[in-house]
Amino acid sequence: MILHTLNASPGSTAFDHCLAQVAADDGLLLMGNAVYAALANAPALARLRATGARLHVLEDDARTAGVTPQMSEDVLAIDFDAFVALSEQHARQVAWF
Amino acid sequence: MASDTPKASGQAEPPRLLLVTRSPPYGSSLARSALDTALAAAAFDMAPALLFLDHGVLQLLPQQEGAASETRSHGKVLDSLPLYDIDRIYVDAAALLHFGLQDMPLPAAAEVVDSTGIRALLEGCDHILSF
Repeated sequence: MILHTLNASPGSTAFDHCLAQVAADDGLLLMGNAVYAALANAPALARLRATGARLHVLEDDARTAGVTPQMSEDVLAIDFDAFVALSEQHARQVAWF
Repeated sequence: MASDTPKASGQAEPPRLLLVTRSPPYGSSLARSALDTALAAAAFDMAPALLFLDHGVLQLLPQQEGAASETRSHGKVLDSLPLYDIDRIYVDAAALLHFGLQDMPLPAAAEVVDSTGIRALLEGCDHILSF
């Protein structure tokens, strides 16, 4: 079980490299410019779903970007306390940016 | 400030300036620099046009909340553009599709352009600045 924190926009090489390494029992947290992948109609979201990983988005970043009103229900919005809890639940954490 | 700016004599048409912005609104200062340049150019009656390409279309998402990250909302600055007579805004159709934003409400002045339209814009203006 690995927690992947993804801070790169859909279409970037960091985004693609992250998705290539995510396994079904991993956690994935979208933050910064990765929050656009949580848009309900985003083609990138289908790729995230296909990984089978649990999908989260940092709520403050999603609200800043204006993503929240059009966000997919498959992605769980979390605050910083929940981010800390996620970190505790996963033995390893990889940052992609 | 704009009213005190001396006009170039003998020029009926102001030079046409195209600002190309390809960056998302947050994470770097590039997007903001494009808008600052647009406002400055408008103050000098240069009638700038803005072209949102690639990740630049993400700047146009409505309901951005800068306060959520204690930053200034990029959307609010965009909303102010018509006040400065910046009313030529062009948006990359392919980028909207790429991000699943084809149904997003756009600014009133915005025109969606395809690759051919983008080429025509680049050819039709006198100066191009990229951000």
